Amino acid sequence: MNQTSSVEILKKYRGRSMAQETFRRLIKNRGAIIGACFLLFLIVVAVLSEFVFDYDTQIIGMNPLALYAAPGPEHIFGCDNMGRDIMARICYGARYSLSIGIGSVAIGLCFGIILGSLAGFYGGVIDNLVMRANDILYAIPNIMIAVVVVSILGTSPSSLLFSLCISAASSFTRITRAAVMQIRGREFIESAYAMGLPTWKVILRHIIPNCLSPIIVQMTLAVGTNIISASSLSFLGVGIPVPLPEWGAMLSDGRAYIRSAPWMCIFPGLAIMLTVLALNLMGDGLRDALDPKLKK
Amino acid sequence: MIRYILKRLVLMIPTILLTSLLIFWAMSLTGGDPVMTILPENATIEQQEALREEMGLNDPFFVQYFNYVKGILRGDMGESYVTRMDVFKTFMNRLPMTLALGGTALIFSVIISIPLGIWTALNQNTWKDTAGMVFALFGVSMPNFWLGLMLVILFSLTLGWLPSGGSGNVRYLILPALTVGLGLAALITRTTRSSMLDVLRQDYMTTAKAKGASRRRVIYRHGLRNAMIPIVTAVGMQFSYVMTGSALAEKVFSWPGIGLLVADSITKRDTPMVTGAIILCCILMALINLAVDIIYAYCDPRIKAQYSRKG
Amino acid sequence: MNDNILEIKDLVVHFETDDGVVRAINGLDISIGREKTLGLVGETGAGKTTTALSVLNLVPNPPGKIKSGTIKIDGKDVLTMSDAELENMRGNDVAMIFQDPMTALNPVMTVGDQIAESIELHQHLSGKEAFEKAKELLKLVGIAENRAYDYPHQFSGGMRQRAVIAIALACEPKLLLADEPTTALDVTIQAQVLALMKELIERRHMSMLLITHDLGVVAETCDDVAVMYAGRIVEIGTADEVFNATSHPYTEGLFNSLPNLHERGEELIPIKGLMPDPMDLPKGCTFAPRCAYATPACEGKVPALRPMGGTHYVACDAYDDPNFRLRRNQNG
Repeated sequence: MNQTSSVEILKKYRGRSMAQETFRRLIKNRGAIIGACFLLFLIVVAVLSEFVFDYDTQIIGMNPLALYAAPGPEHIFGCDNMGRDIMARICYGARYSLSIGIGSVAIGLCFGIILGSLAGFYGGVIDNLVMRANDILYAIPNIMIAVVVVSILGTSPSSLLFSLCISAASSFTRITRAAVMQIRGREFIESAYAMGLPTWKVILRHIIPNCLSPIIVQMTLAVGTNIISASSLSFLGVGIPVPLPEWGAMLSDGRAYIRSAPWMCIFPGLAIMLTVLALNLMGDGLRDALDPKLKK
Repeated sequence: MIRYILKRLVLMIPTILLTSLLIFWAMSLTGGDPVMTILPENATIEQQEALREEMGLNDPFFVQYFNYVKGILRGDMGESYVTRMDVFKTFMNRLPMTLALGGTALIFSVIISIPLGIWTALNQNTWKDTAGMVFALFGVSMPNFWLGLMLVILFSLTLGWLPSGGSGNVRYLILPALTVGLGLAALITRTTRSSMLDVLRQDYMTTAKAKGASRRRVIYRHGLRNAMIPIVTAVGMQFSYVMTGSALAEKVFSWPGIGLLVADSITKRDTPMVTGAIILCCILMALINLAVDIIYAYCDPRIKAQYSRKG
Repeated sequence: MNDNILEIKDLVVHFETDDGVVRAINGLDISIGREKTLGLVGETGAGKTTTALSVLNLVPNPPGKIKSGTIKIDGKDVLTMSDAELENMRGNDVAMIFQDPMTALNPVMTVGDQIAESIELHQHLSGKEAFEKAKELLKLVGIAENRAYDYPHQFSGGMRQRAVIAIALACEPKLLLADEPTTALDVTIQAQVLALMKELIERRHMSMLLITHDLGVVAETCDDVAVMYAGRIVEIGTADEVFNATSHPYTEGLFNSLPNLHERGEELIPIKGLMPDPMDLPKGCTFAPRCAYATPACEGKVPALRPMGGTHYVACDAYDDPNFRLRRNQNG
């Protein structure tokens, strides 16, 4: 009985791995679950709408019989100035918001992690170069960068994606650099060196995993921000060209008819808000789960 | 401290030069041929060529850029292709409208969000906290131009209380300022709450309580000043949000500020106007960021000491 | 009038977290006589800091909760005081020195203001008079008066701890709670700070609860010693009794873990295992799983404190056997 070794006791304390522990806390968070379910639902809708709706007739075609139809049993969200069903267009448009939001963050993340860890780890000239470039991007409001890029490349989903991944890359570079710099000086990194690990292994095995939590949280939130930015740009007329059913572009169309057909404005915006809300709920849940001391 | 400010101002010059070079380059790629925009349709080839020569459009890129920078130093950023008005003057004429909108929104949001953030933090894990956080969560998830449209539907079209757009007396300012301010308030509420929660856990708060300071005194004298440091940063970082938000709100409410100016100029391919406005916005942002850093130093003696040392 | 400045009886403090209830203090009895210093000794996690915070009724709530017991200062129960009475007591009657001087000072207030605050609150002086007194206090703890205008980040660790001591002494409290006041400091600074505290306590006729895990510090400073394990007192008595007639196996273990400079080469005998998880305390004697003398009977019930002669008490049921002696005492 009194021979209980300290190893056994430690095992009891650390029975679960870090990832399991995070997951356990995450599923206890009701908001995060609701957010995740909504996003899953949205992805399913985005995929299914490809098969359910006919693009040429239902999404961009004109339907003179249902011009400005108010929301009702036949058209739940009503119809727009061309008689197109708004719900169909929103379902179809989910793909633009999701793919631009996720795509721009994914690309930005790759660049951000590479640049940020190089700058944070090596410091000196590389750090200066990366951070000065970042400062310039930081000095220009994101939307202006996007406006400039879009006006060079023309309005299309891909140029919108590209313009948004610049600001994402900039913020990931900052976060990664800060995290790397904080961890670089810690003793366990020195001990990893002392054990003879080469630099790239130290970065990959010890530094990156330890910077993951702020990056994961920022990822979720950045997808939300970029979805809003994308629709803002479409609203300003420099995003996705008409007649593609992007949510921001639909809002922009609806603005002219706000007196006669307010539903043209209400529902696309609601879709944007719910999507971003789901992402934010997940981001908050992840942050609490990854960093429990913040909660208590 | 003054030396620090001067140093920052000097450091701003290369950043602005580089930024302007980037923007000038980008806009020269997109601008199209301004000559066609300016001259009447029946102009001869010779007339077009003469105008090109006069405007320096045939010069190499760096010569054009050099001339442009020389112009900036004299406060001359060229003329609009469309209105033939001086770019700098147009910008300066529009600036007060944007500052009024952004400033009102910022003040409004700070007044709402900082007390709300503190209140939610002090009532952590109660229904009050939940209510405040739900408000903030919706606020940050809402595209603010959509919020603007919803406000128009509610307050102008349905209730008829406020004008739906344009500019004039204070009543025209209310809805645009709410549009920008609510999202901002939500953001600052979240920052204030987490910053306050963080401060409440600190050891020096226990020290203050152990001295016999009342709860009020501990929170406001010891807690708030420490909590303000991240809040000031957050507010400072939101200026780009304010600019973006104002641009969108200006579009929604036809508020004649810089955002509307840039948006209109882009659609009309008015290159000098876009270039000038973006460069001036960047200078404005840089100045605002500097101001934020100075306020920051007054909140935190550690940073002030750092500035003075580096001076 | 009561002889004791502090009397804690049957104190129970739990931390109720999402993951379970942490039983930090489970029925604690200690008392401190006037102008006496009691050393509270134990490993990290034994509940020492929680004990000190309980005396000020400052256990962070939530999640901490004082479940039962009384804590009397000068005969008045802290746990039933109103907010105003508590504020009046804190800093004035009882003051606390915190463990980590790096975080115990407010980074955005000058050190002088932080010392003056306590004086301002309790002695109703103007800000200026209080600041003048703060300067005197700084001088008392060995820091130049003009450093009162400095911020904590301009102080070294030892100086900060002196400033923390100055804050605690500002209103000449009757009882000082010192929570590992020297742990975070360099050894040479430790001795200086300890000597300073000892001198000030004697000069101002204060009592002190000194929390530490360093038996050397206890030997130097304390009149009485209480040894704490998993939220309970396992041995208590005068310093002489506990040091020379050690009775609890845990106390013996603490001494055996201490390197002895006079008998170099003597083998260190560490205590096996770790402190039990306070969320899941063993039934019966909480030390039994690590105890070299444990018998199956030890797992049955929590041992009560039993008198060992004089003011010396120990919580160990092995003494049911009148011939039981710790190894340490067998050949001496």
